[in-house]
Amino acid sequence: MSIMMCLSLVLLILGLAFVASNPPPYFTALGLVLVAGVGCLALAILSGPFFSLILFWIYLGGMMVVFGYSAALIAEPFPESLGSGYVLGLMISYMCLVFFTAAMVLHFYDGPLHLLGEISSFNMVQKDAWGVALMYLCGGVLLVLGALVLLLALFVVFKLTWGMSFSVLRPV
Amino acid sequence: MSPLTLLTMAFTLMLGTTITLMSTHWLLAWMGLEINTLAIIPLMIKQNHPRAVEATTKYFLIQATAATTLLFAATTNAWLTGAWEISQVMHPLPTIIITMALSLKMGLAPMHSWLPDVMQGLELKVGLVLATWQKLAPFSLLCQIPNSNFTILLGLTSIILGGWGGLNQTQLRKIMAYSSIAHLGWMLLVMQLLPSLSLMTLLVYIIMTFSLFNIFMINKTTNINSLSTSSMKVPVLTTLTPLILLSLGGLPPLTGFLPKWLILQEMIKQNFFMTATMAALSALLSLYFYLRLSYNMTFTIAPNTSTNTLSWRLNNKNIILPTATSMTMTLLMLPLLPLAAMPLF
Repeated sequence: MSIMMCLSLVLLILGLAFVASNPPPYFTALGLVLVAGVGCLALAILSGPFFSLILFWIYLGGMMVVFGYSAALIAEPFPESLGSGYVLGLMISYMCLVFFTAAMVLHFYDGPLHLLGEISSFNMVQKDAWGVALMYLCGGVLLVLGALVLLLALFVVFKLTWGMSFSVLRPV
Repeated sequence: MSPLTLLTMAFTLMLGTTITLMSTHWLLAWMGLEINTLAIIPLMIKQNHPRAVEATTKYFLIQATAATTLLFAATTNAWLTGAWEISQVMHPLPTIIITMALSLKMGLAPMHSWLPDVMQGLELKVGLVLATWQKLAPFSLLCQIPNSNFTILLGLTSIILGGWGGLNQTQLRKIMAYSSIAHLGWMLLVMQLLPSLSLMTLLVYIIMTFSLFNIFMINKTTNINSLSTSSMKVPVLTTLTPLILLSLGGLPPLTGFLPKWLILQEMIKQNFFMTATMAALSALLSLYFYLRLSYNMTFTIAPNTSTNTLSWRLNNKNIILPTATSMTMTLLMLPLLPLAAMPLF
């Protein structure tokens, strides 16, 4: 399990560095899916499988929209990701930054990241399911308020995108 | 924009700030800030020209970043100490991150450069909301967390950079943004020493900014050049405007002197001599651009018969009563200072 955790964290950082180093949008979306997947894997190993499942579904849904949008918008005949020197150089520099930060953390707090120490793969109680139950039990007003905020976000998006010829989104 | 949408958005704007002001829990405070951001976006983009869209996009990105950082700091705090309450941020790391996030939201000095740019793309009314109402929620959160001398550093940089940035501007909205940065710096300077004084500074700043924005709205000006013809449009208002500007700059018989006076006194009481001196000297930078505004508006006009004809004046549909009230308060509230010492509140 510890190896899985290590692997997912390393993949998470590699994927984030890849996304941050400006590859073409197709590969960026792919990198984001990878990051979401391994992030959810790490969360699931840290005894939060329900949350990681929910997050993964919602994130994948959003990513499909992002991927479709960017694929429709960007006309790039020959996309190249790590093959181009620009992206590769940026990624290498980001990884150098990560190693520097990790070295600083190790230097100052002298010890490994203690995420790795908290893994217990034989949990009888799912902490996250317990938390969800508690949220639905006590946090009724808060949930309604959260739904209200989402409704507001929907209205804002409607207002922003309404009107084909004079609004924000228009054919160029 | 249809009136119903406008009403909904304005109401939601108030609701967001109220939620943040009422909350004791970080999640609710964050939610209120997000409601605030979401609700002002349709108001900002109302005119649909590219500059407004650009300003709105910049505003949204900055505010989303700040809110995410705030949420990150709150969860970090909950992870480290197990406490979700706003006043229970004791660990230095989340405290610093929260302070930085909130100052990014308000546009304090090292994180200020979005504010003039966003303000320049908005119309004056929305700019007024951005400069006053949008500061309330982050301000209240910043007041509640136990902070160190870090806010004094932020305040001092805000005063200096707010003064410097406004020096070479010709656009009124950018000048107002830099003036907002400098005034927020004064509030942050005294926030840890005497929070009630900081709140009073915010109130006085809101009153002064409200009257100045109203003057610009009545004149329909957005740069200094067109301000110089305002004596043809509104003669009486033009004679009063330099006083408003000097009040913003903080000159003695006017209301704007009140917060600066009390803040300097409080800082000297608590042995911050160097900081108080630097703040007082940097206020001169702000005073310079206020003076330049008033010079262009009134002092260049010779006191004899103008060669121009007076421009045609229709019935003024602008907000007259609030402008008159806030201008009177901007000019004449200093003698009411002893009221603040009375146990009325």
